[in-house]
Amino acid sequence: MPDNPLDIKQQKAVLSISDLSKFYIMGEVRVDALKHVSLEFYEGELAVLLGASGSGKSTLINIIGGLDVPSSGKLFFHGREITAATEAELTSYRRRSIGFVFQFYNLISSLSALENVQLVTEIAENPMSAKEALMLVGLGSRLNHFPAQLSGGEQQRVAIARAIAKRPELLLCDEPTGALDFQTGKLVLDVIEKVNRELGTTTLVITHNASIAGMADRVVRLRSGEVSEDRRNLTRMSPSELVW
Amino acid sequence: MKPLQIKLLRELMRLKGQMLAVAAVVACGISVFVSMSSVKYSLEASRERYYNRFRFADVFVQVKRAPEFYRETVSRIPGVASVSTRIYADVTLDVPGLDEPATGRLVSIPEYRTPVLNDIFLKKGRYIEPGKPEEVIASKPFLEANHLVPGDRIAAVINGRKKELLIVGMGLSPEYIYEVQPGSFFPDKRRFGVFWMSRRALESALNMSGAFNDLSLTLAHGASEKDVIMQLDNLFKRYGSLGAYGRSEHLSDRFIVDEIKQVGIQITFLPVVFLAVAVFLLNIVLRRIVATQRDQIAVLKAMGYSNEDVGLHYLGFAMIPTAVGALAGTLLGAWLGRGLMDIYSEFYNFAELVYYFRFEDVALSVLLSFAAALFGALGAVRKAVLLPPAEAMRPDSPVIYKPGFFDRDVLRNKIPVPVRIIVRNLERRPWKAALSVLMISLSVAILIAGRYTYDSLDRMVQVEFNEKHREDVTVIFNDPMPPSVVFNVASLDGVLEHEYYREEPVRMSFGHRVRRQTIKGIQSAEGLQRLVDKSNRRHSLPPDGIVLTSTLADILGVRPGDRLQIDFLQGKQLHRELLVSGTIDEILGLSAYMNLDALNRLAGDGGALNAAYLRIDESKSGKLYSSFKKMPGVAGIMMLKAMKESFDELIAQSMTTSTLILTSFACILAFAVVYNGARISLSERARELSSLRVLGMTRAEISFILLGEQALLTIFAIPVGFLIGIVLSALLARALSSELYRLPLVFSSFNFLFAFVVIVLVSIVSALLVRRRLTNLDLVEVLKTRE
Repeated sequence: MPDNPLDIKQQKAVLSISDLSKFYIMGEVRVDALKHVSLEFYEGELAVLLGASGSGKSTLINIIGGLDVPSSGKLFFHGREITAATEAELTSYRRRSIGFVFQFYNLISSLSALENVQLVTEIAENPMSAKEALMLVGLGSRLNHFPAQLSGGEQQRVAIARAIAKRPELLLCDEPTGALDFQTGKLVLDVIEKVNRELGTTTLVITHNASIAGMADRVVRLRSGEVSEDRRNLTRMSPSELVW
Repeated sequence: MKPLQIKLLRELMRLKGQMLAVAAVVACGISVFVSMSSVKYSLEASRERYYNRFRFADVFVQVKRAPEFYRETVSRIPGVASVSTRIYADVTLDVPGLDEPATGRLVSIPEYRTPVLNDIFLKKGRYIEPGKPEEVIASKPFLEANHLVPGDRIAAVINGRKKELLIVGMGLSPEYIYEVQPGSFFPDKRRFGVFWMSRRALESALNMSGAFNDLSLTLAHGASEKDVIMQLDNLFKRYGSLGAYGRSEHLSDRFIVDEIKQVGIQITFLPVVFLAVAVFLLNIVLRRIVATQRDQIAVLKAMGYSNEDVGLHYLGFAMIPTAVGALAGTLLGAWLGRGLMDIYSEFYNFAELVYYFRFEDVALSVLLSFAAALFGALGAVRKAVLLPPAEAMRPDSPVIYKPGFFDRDVLRNKIPVPVRIIVRNLERRPWKAALSVLMISLSVAILIAGRYTYDSLDRMVQVEFNEKHREDVTVIFNDPMPPSVVFNVASLDGVLEHEYYREEPVRMSFGHRVRRQTIKGIQSAEGLQRLVDKSNRRHSLPPDGIVLTSTLADILGVRPGDRLQIDFLQGKQLHRELLVSGTIDEILGLSAYMNLDALNRLAGDGGALNAAYLRIDESKSGKLYSSFKKMPGVAGIMMLKAMKESFDELIAQSMTTSTLILTSFACILAFAVVYNGARISLSERARELSSLRVLGMTRAEISFILLGEQALLTIFAIPVGFLIGIVLSALLARALSSELYRLPLVFSSFNFLFAFVVIVLVSIVSALLVRRRLTNLDLVEVLKTRE
């Protein structure tokens, strides 16, 4: 629950998480990655999920993105229970609604920037053109470069273009600046912020870097699989103002 | 093109070495399948067409002389559709340009052309004209081998009289698709030919008017061949019949049927080996691709690609090289098939040997190769499909190493680290190592089996032409001669050694098993002809009893010590009982040997001789040959040297071709397996090897670790391959053996050496190719990227 109810605008919950738990069995040890997490995310919101490594934030984002299933608890997307979805429904959920950005970009090295984005526009329902998506992230001039010919920041921007080209309702970014230097990282965050602002895409950014929290509408902190803090920023800073 | 398809094609291009190797193995398998299937079908279809078109008979019988009205009698036997009678005789020929006499088989044809059984296909020239007894149509192989054409003349000694024959046509007949001199196994085109001449001319030349000595018939649909043969035997026993027989005992047909059977064996055996290796290669290559692309699989799934999309994408990695291989294999197969048919047309004289390339064979081969691709890819594709997307984002868990056999204290300190790395790698995945060894050894085995036939034929030549037969010429008589006449041959100037034999056609029976067979009575087993088995061991001939070829003994179900029932088919036609005193595992044909005196006693006559083996003085051969040409009663001579030459020329040539093909295919196989193994090893261990380089190991040291593993696998594979090769050869020898010949199981040390050298060379080449990549390892880049 938000700790400052006054700040809540009249918003619709895009995502509701209720009492979500996830554990893994590693050999003979049981690892609880998430413990009874309940959260809601709202339309157009830019939320930052903060947490040290092992806090369960990647597990949470994987479950939200339909990549993983919880051990218990429920997840609703626009009121539809994702946790009860079949494999095919999960695929279609990811295909229509979710955009992923990963820490290591995960571009297909054998495909050019444009083709990497086309991977998505190919199967999405109402995508923007791949070129348009790349222009949006400022890579209009590097369409035919292969990942190996692009810098880390550029690769991550291709990944963002790939994620947003389908016009997802939810953009999930897993440590998007984790592999980048400060300046490049800020450039990438700029793009994420721009997408959120211009397209109104609900955006969740996972990071262990507390300084990034300044650009968010809302900050959720995870510790040992539990939500330890959930607050709203009164003002959102522009990524260029961030310092770390 | 869709991005996933672009990805597939680009990545296939990047892995082109490995993919080409897979495609090449598939191509080998498919080309063998396509070529052999089409050759088999073409031979079957050509044979069938030829037989139908020229009315090849179903049942044959030869007699001494039977009145022509029996033709009517035979046609009334139930089940007989049509009957032809003929007169035939074997005569000596004086061929221009040939010192020694050749043998001609004269076969009668109607003076006016009418459709008859075993009809002639007139290839060139014309049919004989009525009232011109000297006109003949000669067989194509003989004419071509002697550079004769219609219009040429040739002299023949018919019934003791020399006659000039005018060749008016060049022909072929379904009866002589495989044209060999009676009593011989290998065609000698120069010294044996078939001549079709007017029945009337032959009647008068051989005093056979109103009579025939050869009858053939076709059966009505559904008629019992066995019943008809029985009736014919009853009918013609008193006319000197040696027993009627069906197509299955017709020498020419048996050779073709055997050939077709052998081609059939190759269809199953080789493609199976190649496709099995392709399955293995696809399996390891695809598993590696999926393992290196775990994160990409995750991203695709995260983006919303379904499991089917992902599965199909990775299946593409198997299907495309397979399709390329299948296409190349089909084209290569069609080309090889056509080439093989050309070789066959040297052996077999078909009216038209048409090469049929069938859609069914291609469809089946494509189906087979795709099934193989699917089978090979299944494991890896399944892994890609089942990989949970979140799981795929995490690196593969490190492989588990446990202390193995070589980690015992005693050994540990004595084995240097690089060797320990190699050994542990092999220990960790023993099944993969074993499979790799098996696949490399399969290529060794194919090399061994491919060259085995070579060694086998070498042994065949050694046994048949050097050990068993030591005569220079065999003089064959028209009719059994009394010993007194035969001795005239021995007294000719230039004869150094002489030996005689008698051939008595009999019916042998043991229990319910019956067989028509000729007993050969020889003077001794130590003279010009010796008894030598396929292992090149000499056997002695007991003074009494009979020695049978092992295969014949098996057919009759007898063992040494058993007593055979013998019915002589000629002369007094006595019934006798005879002790089987031994068996001999010979290479060619089915034989029954007896001491000549014992056979003479058994036959109950004063003795008769069919032929003489002679060793002659080479310098006097010309004079000798011309006296043979004039000698009455001589049907012809066979020259050992000529037979050996024709054997070398025909059979060795086709064997060389097939050995060459097999050897190249085995090299491709070996290369594909070794190269792919090393490439995958490199891909799996690039990071580890770079780390070792960073830690200060030299290129040579890391090459040793990587290539040492491959070398070790190859070293293990060589002896295993030798063993599998021997077993494969034994199976091949057994499968290819027939009543006509048995391939001896013999391996020269050269065979093993050759396989060894080939496999070592192939390993070195693929090692060099992989080493080049090892040299180019980007140390920093490899360490930077995460696992």
